[in-house]
Amino acid sequence: MDTLADFRHTMESCNHCGQCKVVLGPKTKGYDFAEICPIHMQFHFDAYSGQGLLHIAQELLDGVFEPEPALRDLVYACTTCGACDTNCKSIRDMEVMDTILALREHLVEGGHGPMPQHAQMAARVERTHNIYGRPHAERAAWAEGASATSAPVAYFAGCAASYQRTDIARNTLRILAAAGIECTVLGADEHCCGGPLWRTGQRAAAERQVRHNLEALERRGVRTIVTSCAECFGTLRGFYPRVAEFPFEVRHISEVVQQALDAGRLKLSRPVEATVTWHDPCQLGRLSEPYVPWNGEIRAFGEHVPPKAFRRGTEGVYDAPRRVLGAIRGVKVVEMVRNEENALCCGGGGGVQQAFPEQARTTAAERVREARSTGADTLASACPFCQDTLEAGLADGGGLRYRDFTELVVSALEP
Amino acid sequence: MSLAREVYAELERVVGTRYISDRPWILAAVRAPQPNTPMKPPSPEAVLLPGSAEEIQQIVRICNRHGIRYIATISSLIGFAYPSGPGTIILHLKRMNRLVEVNAQDRYAVIEPGVRQGQLRIELMRHGLSYPVAAVGPGGSVLANFACSSGDSHCQYGASRTNRYLLGIEWVTPEGELLRLGSLASEAGWFNPEGPGPSLRGVIKGFVGQWGGMGVVTRIAIGLDAWRGPAVLPYEGRSPSYQLRLDPRLHQAYVFKFPTLEQCRDAMIAIGEAEIAQAVLKYFNASAALLATESANDFWDLWRSGLFQRELARPLYVYLSAFTPEEFAYEERVLLDIIAQFGGEVVDERILRIYRDNMDFYVLVGALQRVLRLGGGWAPAKLSGDSIGHMIDVGKAVPEFMRPFIEQGRVLDALDNWQVIPLEYGHAAHIELLFLYDRGQANWGQVPMDFMRASMQADIRNGHHGTMPPRTAAAGAAIGALFSNAHVWAGRVKDALDPERVSNPF
Repeated sequence: MDTLADFRHTMESCNHCGQCKVVLGPKTKGYDFAEICPIHMQFHFDAYSGQGLLHIAQELLDGVFEPEPALRDLVYACTTCGACDTNCKSIRDMEVMDTILALREHLVEGGHGPMPQHAQMAARVERTHNIYGRPHAERAAWAEGASATSAPVAYFAGCAASYQRTDIARNTLRILAAAGIECTVLGADEHCCGGPLWRTGQRAAAERQVRHNLEALERRGVRTIVTSCAECFGTLRGFYPRVAEFPFEVRHISEVVQQALDAGRLKLSRPVEATVTWHDPCQLGRLSEPYVPWNGEIRAFGEHVPPKAFRRGTEGVYDAPRRVLGAIRGVKVVEMVRNEENALCCGGGGGVQQAFPEQARTTAAERVREARSTGADTLASACPFCQDTLEAGLADGGGLRYRDFTELVVSALEP
Repeated sequence: MSLAREVYAELERVVGTRYISDRPWILAAVRAPQPNTPMKPPSPEAVLLPGSAEEIQQIVRICNRHGIRYIATISSLIGFAYPSGPGTIILHLKRMNRLVEVNAQDRYAVIEPGVRQGQLRIELMRHGLSYPVAAVGPGGSVLANFACSSGDSHCQYGASRTNRYLLGIEWVTPEGELLRLGSLASEAGWFNPEGPGPSLRGVIKGFVGQWGGMGVVTRIAIGLDAWRGPAVLPYEGRSPSYQLRLDPRLHQAYVFKFPTLEQCRDAMIAIGEAEIAQAVLKYFNASAALLATESANDFWDLWRSGLFQRELARPLYVYLSAFTPEEFAYEERVLLDIIAQFGGEVVDERILRIYRDNMDFYVLVGALQRVLRLGGGWAPAKLSGDSIGHMIDVGKAVPEFMRPFIEQGRVLDALDNWQVIPLEYGHAAHIELLFLYDRGQANWGQVPMDFMRASMQADIRNGHHGTMPPRTAAAGAAIGALFSNAHVWAGRVKDALDPERVSNPF
């Protein structure tokens, strides 16, 4: 149920109500920060929105027009942040995000996508198993001395923490050790999670990564996967079950820390003086609910037979990072207007950072403006890709710095 | 037909390359058929995103010069702003989204077309102010509703129709003149719609909102009422399961049921005579079930239980709010006396809990589009105004034409899915009948046409003001006399101000 034609019901159900473009009513806080779709905010045409992309998909499917590069650019301008999907699903039973992903796959299958930068990324993954094209042999360099044996808990580091932001991977292992959790790292057995390929419509390539990683996890007897990267987290929970049986529990490091704090197995005793505002990464928040396969029928008046488990963004990981940061002495957590399931995307998701860096920077600047409006001195999150984009948005300084969740937690651990 | 290249270039010079497009995928987003109709609307020739009244003036003049039709819009919900024929361009006014001024002392706000209901309502709460928010969901344009559509909401019992809240107006006429109306015309500010200066607030609306509307309204001031609630809305939970609770000592929701519609009507009138309450209405029952559930399957479980049909066939929804607990206690005593006097009783506790646990129904109706959830056809057959008594009479006559459609399985079995909202403490009222039909049935596209025709014929037979005033010549000929043939006058005004018939044509 993932091909473009499978989403006809969604395309034909849209009433053009505009909810995909604005924050859900009661969660708005006033005139400012009420818009939610990063591309609609920049380009304003309806075509640049969940609603517009549904109608483009419909006409493309009906053969009203043929794909061409300018259309591809529009479809790939979307950050696949899922804000449209969550807002639409607050009122409807429509699959906006899945339709957009299917539209990208449709373009790729027809030879009209992805963007050249995304195709290059796929080639790098094929060659080196990571999105950066760095030598695979270096993937586990950060984990020198860490256990690579069988264990029920595995830390899945992901490409960004393995190569670009190794401090996140090291901090995560340190936190797990402090909490008394034994874990294995996949090391050289770990390949890209496949998320960046899936979200750019390169499904076949993404599925190859999934199958490899599943085999590696199964070989080690893993039952629980811990991630520190929102992108990996959302992919493991939202994509892997579409490809194969997925008998694993996936937990984000913030959930693990919260549980350890609650059980008294971890203490955050060193004070950290900071006023922190939390940026909910799309893949950790609204898009992180587990995907439950559904192959049913939509009958008269929208009745789904059998009932479908919709992913409405309600059960994303929202509380854990806030509770953990709030438990650090000296840390004050303040909220942006667009938070939790209504968080504004950093601007770089869905391959936009690679293909349209200027567009990503503009969205990031808006997110930074919102973060500054809270009076925070620290913008914290748990996604190395959000970090890349938001740090670009923070380039002018202005008294706000970005810090990863794991960095803040390690700062509060006893030395 | 597409725009001549030189005309496109002329328009492009006004707004800039970034803000005009005629690419097919840009047009695809504004020409999709609505789920309730099998007819695909004509494609616009281009979409423009003007950024100022001056740009709109230039665009309108170009349109007049070349005979190009134009329609200004924001969200385009339910097809009110689609082209009615070829040779039409869409002016999307979303870049004109400034909240120009909130004047808390004189109680008005000045807005541009792109300011959304959700934004303004909540912004004004910080100032202790409010206005009748249209029941279109938070994404709807405030200006479009006040200047064009005059859509009503659940909370208008102590208020009036939105077009009566219009104050100063900045308006690009159908031929491209920029006029400032009311007190604004003599640079006396935004506070008054009538003057000193010309008052044309009945004219700018055109015939029925966007259908035949005149020119483009670029800024308005709206009069504001007091907001009795907190400056920041207290909510819990996450989409779609959020809850909004207000202080129960000052805000409370009630749902009563009555043995007959006449008793329900008399209670409505008596509450108005007592001048209490913020909202008093007889609400839809199927739509209420949709609002109360979070998926189509949940709706079906609830609807098949029969609870809402049983309890909400003749309901009276009331929302009391007050500045002080003493004031609230007084209003509640008066309300309960009236309900008892007319034989009403509280509905099943499960229904009451829905409204008491989530007061959003009376604040923003953030989840309003849930009424569209079933994904098929949905349309209002009655959408008009008159006295409370007359509106109830219109509702009572619904079964006579709706029952055959239900028996033939063409529409959802929901005879009581209509609402009456009294306004101005009962001096006027609004009616709306919503019927739902499934797209899976044979000839489904014929259902709304047959249903609306049957509804209109029932009104003609009964002399009822239930049908939305006609917008086509054929409908005007059939039912115009019931509305003082206002469509003839509207046509004459249109001819005078829009001789080329390029502005919002139908």
